[in-house]
Amino acid sequence: MIAIPFAGLVLGFLVVYRLLPPIPSRWADYVAIAIVAGLDAFAGAGRNWLERRFDEAIFISGFFVNMVLAALLAYVGDKLGVDLYLAVVVALGIRIFNNLGRARALLVSMRVEARKARAGASAE
Amino acid sequence: MALLLSGSKRWVIPFTFVCLVLGSMLGIQVHTQRLRGATQVGRQTSALVGMLTRNEAQVQQQKQEIDQLRARLAEYEKEAASEKGLTRLMNEDLRAARIALGTVEVKGPGIELEIADSTMRTSDEFGAQDVYVIHDFDLLQIANELWCAGAEAISLNNQRLITGSAIACSARLIEVNGVTVANPFLFRAIGDKAKLVSALNIRDGVLDRLRVLQFPVKLTAKDDVVILPIAVAPKYEYARPVEKEAGK
Repeated sequence: MIAIPFAGLVLGFLVVYRLLPPIPSRWADYVAIAIVAGLDAFAGAGRNWLERRFDEAIFISGFFVNMVLAALLAYVGDKLGVDLYLAVVVALGIRIFNNLGRARALLVSMRVEARKARAGASAE
Repeated sequence: MALLLSGSKRWVIPFTFVCLVLGSMLGIQVHTQRLRGATQVGRQTSALVGMLTRNEAQVQQQKQEIDQLRARLAEYEKEAASEKGLTRLMNEDLRAARIALGTVEVKGPGIELEIADSTMRTSDEFGAQDVYVIHDFDLLQIANELWCAGAEAISLNNQRLITGSAIACSARLIEVNGVTVANPFLFRAIGDKAKLVSALNIRDGVLDRLRVLQFPVKLTAKDDVVILPIAVAPKYEYARPVEKEAGK
């Protein structure tokens, strides 16, 4: 079932990469930061899913709103001459690392518990 | 489809949609970034090279034009000089003005001063070298000394110094008349030889300062210093002579 979203990802990438012209480079920075925000939403979703409290409404709203907010913040920073861009990148980067770290810890602990359960079952 | 929408699989469709969006954004970005990295720099450089060659061609053409105009002017002057009275006086004035303006090649007694970056190096530390290279202000000070000593014409690396000639530092290069000049530096000045030499050698003057730091300094007095004209004479766009009314 996970193959369908993944196919969507690849399809979106290929279609845009092959068919659409590149955007003006002054916009490229904002798209880049929006992508980082999107990745953050994915990392958060992954963690929530492992914690069994994934909610697609939160995920989708977070994905789009954070993307727009991140790009907007970077844009405002550029207009003001402050590198808010960096603030966004740092904040999002830390969040991505946190979420991925939690997700990894959860996965590991789940494996350990599964092994324990198996060991307990075989001992009986 | 019904399966996708039923119960626990409800997330697939929105998730796919989000993936599609993220994928297309990645597509845009990778595409743009690749072009940016690969061709934009190349495109920019080639555009700059094109501009430079065009400019150089233009400069060459304009120099030719200037030479032609000067030749014609010289003819006029010769004709004017053959006439008597007022025109002759005016012609003499014109000659002096042209020397001052630096549009004619001039020859006469004077000095040649060669200086170069110091042979002394403390370390390879960047920044520490600053003391041992020649700066725009060193050159400015030398030029100033020369003018003070009554130099009538000065050139620095064949750039004629005239009124309005700036010696300026741009990045790590030195520009005179908007032309980049580089180490070693050669000053030529026409004037009273003895005066020029002693002005430069004045105690605690600029050359004293440079010699202490082991800058190679070669100062020679000569009888036939030739100083080239300035490439492009300045234009006066703003300054206008004040006309005094008669009887006031």
